Amino acid sequence: MELFGPAQTFSRFDHCRFRKNLLRSFLDPGLGLGIFRSGSLAFPTSRHEIAVTSDTPHERTVGQVLLLTAGFLVLVAVSSASVLLVNKARDDNAAVVHTIEVENQTNTLLLEIRRAESSVRGYLLTMGPDFLNDYEQALAAITPELDKLEHLAADNPIQAENVRQLRTAIATRLDQFEREVGFFKQGDLPSAANLVRDAAAGDTTTTIHDLTDAMRAEEDRLFLLRTANADRSQQLASLVTITGSGLVVLLAGISMFLIRRSAHARDRAERQLRENNLNLEATVDARTADLREANEEIQRFAYIVSHDLRAPLVNIMGFTSELEELHPGIFHRIAALSRAQTSAAAQPMIADGGEIQLERADKQLSDDFVEALSFIKSSIGKMDRLISAILSLTREGRREFSPVAVDMREMIDGIVASHAHQAAQAQAHIQIGALPRIESDRLALEQIFSNLIDNAIKYLKPGVPGEIVVRGRTKLGFAIFEISDNGRGIDPRDHQRIFDLFRRAGVQDRPGQGIGLAHVRTLVRRLGGTMSVASELGSGSTFTITLPIKWTVNRTAAA
Amino acid sequence: MTLPVPVTIIMIEDDEGHARLIERNIRRSGIHNEIIPFATGADALKYLFGSDGDAGKHEGQGLLILLDLNLPDMTGIEILRQVKENSILKSAPVVVLTTTDDSSEIKRCYELGCNVYITKPVNYEGFANAIRQLGLFFSVIQVPSTEP
Repeated sequence: MELFGPAQTFSRFDHCRFRKNLLRSFLDPGLGLGIFRSGSLAFPTSRHEIAVTSDTPHERTVGQVLLLTAGFLVLVAVSSASVLLVNKARDDNAAVVHTIEVENQTNTLLLEIRRAESSVRGYLLTMGPDFLNDYEQALAAITPELDKLEHLAADNPIQAENVRQLRTAIATRLDQFEREVGFFKQGDLPSAANLVRDAAAGDTTTTIHDLTDAMRAEEDRLFLLRTANADRSQQLASLVTITGSGLVVLLAGISMFLIRRSAHARDRAERQLRENNLNLEATVDARTADLREANEEIQRFAYIVSHDLRAPLVNIMGFTSELEELHPGIFHRIAALSRAQTSAAAQPMIADGGEIQLERADKQLSDDFVEALSFIKSSIGKMDRLISAILSLTREGRREFSPVAVDMREMIDGIVASHAHQAAQAQAHIQIGALPRIESDRLALEQIFSNLIDNAIKYLKPGVPGEIVVRGRTKLGFAIFEISDNGRGIDPRDHQRIFDLFRRAGVQDRPGQGIGLAHVRTLVRRLGGTMSVASELGSGSTFTITLPIKWTVNRTAAA
Repeated sequence: MTLPVPVTIIMIEDDEGHARLIERNIRRSGIHNEIIPFATGADALKYLFGSDGDAGKHEGQGLLILLDLNLPDMTGIEILRQVKENSILKSAPVVVLTTTDDSSEIKRCYELGCNVYITKPVNYEGFANAIRQLGLFFSVIQVPSTEP
């Protein structure tokens, strides 16, 4: 029974059980303690609710993933666009360079033609072989330069056409040069001079000029166009880069904001949780204190009630006994009076020998009187034993336990020795197996095992020699003791009942108040252990007690 | 039979039934001294210590105190303490008669100077015997007069 255990044995998990047991065990005896049902023991059921932020973690996670995906996509897009645009810019630049090359080549070609022209003129004027040499060099250079130009301009149909015309014009012009030089070499100066005049007057030179001008103009146009293109590409590239970077920065910003917000929310939740934990601890402490107080209150209550119940009981018993003492006197008088009534003759009032001779009706009255008094007295005796039991249990509940090393074998030997007389009377043999040593409260252990051995001897099968075995073993820091007998056994329906205060099971042919096992279970629980029974009606019982090998006061407090 | 010195028995007992039973059994054991009953601690203290509070009027008087511990207005322990602290009253024997059989309480009473401690058992034979033996005790002890 929990009721008389020290307050610290109640953990928060025991609350409900405590209340149930408390009410059951204490209300059962019919002491009318109904007041405890309503007030002081009510256990507040409020729960601390943990505040949850408005956006759930799931939503937050999805948001983060979306954000990251968006950021990634933007990065990919920006990178691809940059690559494409950079490529395009390179192409555009290449085109610009190409334009310049074409123009350059045109100029080079023109320069060579001019050089050839001036060399021819110089030769014609001075007849210096240097000029001829020069001319031949220029002549040799013109055709490759022209080929080069043609090759360069092949991409542009307009320029290709120009080059084709230019080739014709240059061929014509070169033919003129050759003829001039040929005439000159042959000494036909006038023909050469004529030819030079014709050539100068002719439109070949102009054609070449016009063509190269046209080509240059075309290339200038292309140059402008392509430069603009290149510029646009570059601008686009930088625009895309800037926009992309901006987007990435923006996304990073949003992400940071979200992370900060969620971190903030987490901090807040954490703070709340910490506060709640503190509150919870405080609540548990408060509840434990409440329970402790309630338990102490009940102990005080039980103690006071027992005393206060005992005082009137002393009176009832006292005056009942007084009545009993008055009984002979009363019936003596009745006998005398009735005798005086029935016989007018003066007879001695008392029969010889002092015995009162009652008449039939008076004898009946006397017997009824005695019977009534004996019922009153036996009831008072029973009530007194119940009150004493409650008192001794409260006293036991108040006792402080102190763990000491106990040699169980020695202790059980002692208990068995003290029960030797009883055992002999019941023809019981008690066998003691190996028992582990434990550290626990010695007196409590003595009470536990003494009670159980006493029960085993008390409830043997009539006419069957008793076999009682006490065994022990250890397992995972616990010592397990078994006390088995071949006695009358307990109906499985009564297995719970026998541990309740003032409750007994089976044939009620032995003296007892129904306290022993309730007391034993209270003690076992206070020692941090458990106990159970295995039994069938008619085939003996085994009580199993599991106790911590090393019991400390704190252990119970923390349990 | 009377006690060698005329002794007044002060009975401090709130339960009338108990008081009556105690008185009857004392009388049965042959003690015929005056018994003055008190039902409350306050009345008893008023009588014991008088109006001046130093119990001067009991000087030279033989007193024996029967004391119940559970009184409605105060504990018998308190009365015991006051009696034993008073220079005149402290020599009066005190018999504690109570339903409490708590060992710590019994110890406390003896520490405070109680002379006899009797538990009132529900068993009437036991009760009557205890009182009668008390009578025997009265007859053999020499109750000192409280004269200095």
